[in-house]
Amino acid sequence: MFIAFFSWWYGRGWQQVVGDFKLRVSNVIDSFSVRQLSKTLFAPWKRIVTQPGRNLEDHLHAAADNAFSRAVGFVVRLGVLFTALIAILVIGLLSIIEIIAWPLLPVAVPGLIIAGLVL
Amino acid sequence: MNPGIDFSSRRAREARLGKKIGRQGFIGLAVIGSIFTLVVIIFGIFKSQPPIAGVAGSLALLCFLPAIWWKRYLSVLPPTGNSPAERLSVDVLARLNANMELQSQTVWAALSDHWQARFFTHHLLLNSDLVGEQMGKSAEALEEALSIASGLADEHKTKTIELGFVVAGLLITSPGVQQLLLQHEDHPEDIRAIAGWLGRNLGESSNINTQRKYGGIGRDWAFGFTPLLDKLGDNISLAVSGHGAHFGWLAQSQGVRSIETAFENNAKAIALIGPDGIGKTSNVYALAQRMIQGNTTPSLTYHQIICLNATDITSLAHGQGELEQIMISLVNEAILAKHIMLFFDNAQLFLSDSAGAFNATQILLSIIEAGRVPIILAMAPHDYQSLKTQSQSLAGLLTPVVLQELPEADVMRVLEDTTAGLEYRFQVLIAYEALREAYQLSGRYEQDEAYPGKAIKLLEQAVNHADNKVVNKLSVQHAIEQIYGVRTGNAAPAEAASLLKLEDMIHERMINQTHAVKVVANSLRRARAGVSNPRRPIGSFLFLGPTGVGKTELAKAIAATYFGAETSMIRLDMSEYQQPDDVQRLLSTGVAENKSLLMQIREQPFTVVLLDEIEKAHVNILNLLLQMLDEGQLTDDSGRAASFKDCVIIATSNAGANMIRERIDSGQNLESFSDKFSEELISSGQFKPELLNRFDEMVLFRPLSPDELAQVVNLMLKEVNQTLTHQNISVELTPAAIQKIVEQGNDPRLGARPMRRTLQRAVEDTLAEMILKREAKPGDHVILDAPNLKI
Repeated sequence: MFIAFFSWWYGRGWQQVVGDFKLRVSNVIDSFSVRQLSKTLFAPWKRIVTQPGRNLEDHLHAAADNAFSRAVGFVVRLGVLFTALIAILVIGLLSIIEIIAWPLLPVAVPGLIIAGLVL
Repeated sequence: MNPGIDFSSRRAREARLGKKIGRQGFIGLAVIGSIFTLVVIIFGIFKSQPPIAGVAGSLALLCFLPAIWWKRYLSVLPPTGNSPAERLSVDVLARLNANMELQSQTVWAALSDHWQARFFTHHLLLNSDLVGEQMGKSAEALEEALSIASGLADEHKTKTIELGFVVAGLLITSPGVQQLLLQHEDHPEDIRAIAGWLGRNLGESSNINTQRKYGGIGRDWAFGFTPLLDKLGDNISLAVSGHGAHFGWLAQSQGVRSIETAFENNAKAIALIGPDGIGKTSNVYALAQRMIQGNTTPSLTYHQIICLNATDITSLAHGQGELEQIMISLVNEAILAKHIMLFFDNAQLFLSDSAGAFNATQILLSIIEAGRVPIILAMAPHDYQSLKTQSQSLAGLLTPVVLQELPEADVMRVLEDTTAGLEYRFQVLIAYEALREAYQLSGRYEQDEAYPGKAIKLLEQAVNHADNKVVNKLSVQHAIEQIYGVRTGNAAPAEAASLLKLEDMIHERMINQTHAVKVVANSLRRARAGVSNPRRPIGSFLFLGPTGVGKTELAKAIAATYFGAETSMIRLDMSEYQQPDDVQRLLSTGVAENKSLLMQIREQPFTVVLLDEIEKAHVNILNLLLQMLDEGQLTDDSGRAASFKDCVIIATSNAGANMIRERIDSGQNLESFSDKFSEELISSGQFKPELLNRFDEMVLFRPLSPDELAQVVNLMLKEVNQTLTHQNISVELTPAAIQKIVEQGNDPRLGARPMRRTLQRAVEDTLAEMILKREAKPGDHVILDAPNLKI
């Protein structure tokens, strides 16, 4: 049983931890619509646009409105993308810790007792 | 012989260990590990007692490490190779132990309590213990079962041989189980079908995480608001994603793919064409699922389908102008939003001026021409044909996607997918035999709809006839009997008893003609016992004989005794069908007040069809009857078939009446000259041989003798007495009175036909006078003698 456990822990189990990292990042990318938001980063917010009128003043007015709509869209999207980036970084960091700590955990069973006694 | 399972292999031992730990063990380890972690926090951080914290931390890890091992590995145990033993699912391996004898019976005993095994036994209505008794005791049978299981796993492209596949292998290789299924009138091949059903369910549930992605929080931020569409339309996509609806096989079907391909090829709008029930709306829902999951062609990714309802739109507007304005606003909104596909279900409601509809042909034409919003118009084939006639330009802009009726295997898959929902919704178990029966009976009786819709509807109806929360073949039969008034399945004991004494029941209202009655009764018994051809009418008879000998009466007697009421009869006087154009009158579907034969048979499929004086019908009509007698169906001008398979078809004719009379007078009996008689009918040109040969029986009726006519009088007198019941008066005729009525009422040319009129004059008129004169009062029993009769 111990051999089976250790051979899994240091073999396929460790590989799974790496695979899990990819899956988590993929879930974050989907949940925060990263691809969709990147493609439409400068698109008007919810397509709220003003149709340009006939004269120059209307044109300028519409351009300003639409620029504002795009700016709102850009800010919101960028905010979400930034949040997604942070989430990916946090997940990445935790996953790296997990990947590094994984092989140490079985060793930590006696290690913790020894450390407790030494300290 | 070793069937290939090594119980001492590492994988098998790991599976057993995983079972020992189990879910409860996993939870226990996780909880204890968490408690130790808490101890670590308390003693390590707050109380600064490192030795206690160190021991607690160590113990916490001792709990968490096996818990992780169980969760990530032991409970799943992925395949390690290609041999059956290396591919068997953890559920199978964990249930087999090292000391077990390798045979089908022991393996069945170990697996039968798993939900996948119950999936089979429940849907096949099999008792698990009984199945166990039928299982073989040889290693060879088990090896064959594993080989079948391995094949099923390959078929479903799964590396793991699931427990359900092993169960299927065990059931398939057991002759005893096959026999059990045959005894229940089930199909042994249903086992494979259920394995396929289970395999698809397992495959879908393993992919569920990837399939349930709906694009995340920012999916719709690049698209516009749609307030008017939200108000007047149904957002199918949001409904699908909101309910997590899953269309299983349908989402991968050819219909959905064809719609995607058409849009990929720059179709501006699609005419989704198919008859009712073929699944036009379901295909659009399945497409919505693919689109909202981003699992479609790039141009349609994350588009939402909004279904527009003509009735809602018309109820909001006052007049055509306002309607047009609303339509334009809706479409403009969809164009601006950029991610909307418009779906016009029952598109004919947007293309005609009938009630609840409005004609938006011109607006749709300009919208589709502009091609700025993808559109699907769902319509029946005849509506598409009408559109082609009505607006060729609009029809020309549409890319037709014709949905073909699915083959049986695919209909069964749709039914299987539907069953899961029905079982959950109504908390019933639907046996697989019910699915098959729904397919077969809906195909036979429902001509107005296509598969799979008609089978699904029947299955839904059958839920109301569930016995002890189980929907079986009988539930489906009861549902179809209730809907169409037909009889299906085996005759119940009471009905079987009636069938066996059918002649006696008919003779209660018919005198003599024993030969004719016997021939008809035999035919009805054959049909009900299921030994006649199910693709033809229950029975078809040509009644030949003089007028007034009981031909029509026998038809009425059949309607009353076999079909439940004398009114279960469609009667056509064929002398009214003497022109070539009269064929249309038989087949037309449009005139409700003067219903054609086809319209009547669709309303009342379980009936007697009486064709009086058939020899007078035009030859075109007779040719049509050949098809009806041969194939048990006729097709109307729109190509829809009407079934005559649950009818008794009776044609009557006086042809050869004199011949019959002469031969009976010369002392011959009917049976002896029947064959010769038909030859004479053919040679004299009165009937074509192909028509005579199509009937199951040619039944000759002989003229009634004076004694038999006296019995007819008695039967008619019974009817008079029944009428008088509410006045509490009864009438009796002396033999002399009967004799007098027979003498007066008997006409050699008209048989017993004038008898009713004579009886009416003689008895009813006499009695009416007596009642008015107070000579007959309630409670009286009136005896009429010959001199009393007013003839």
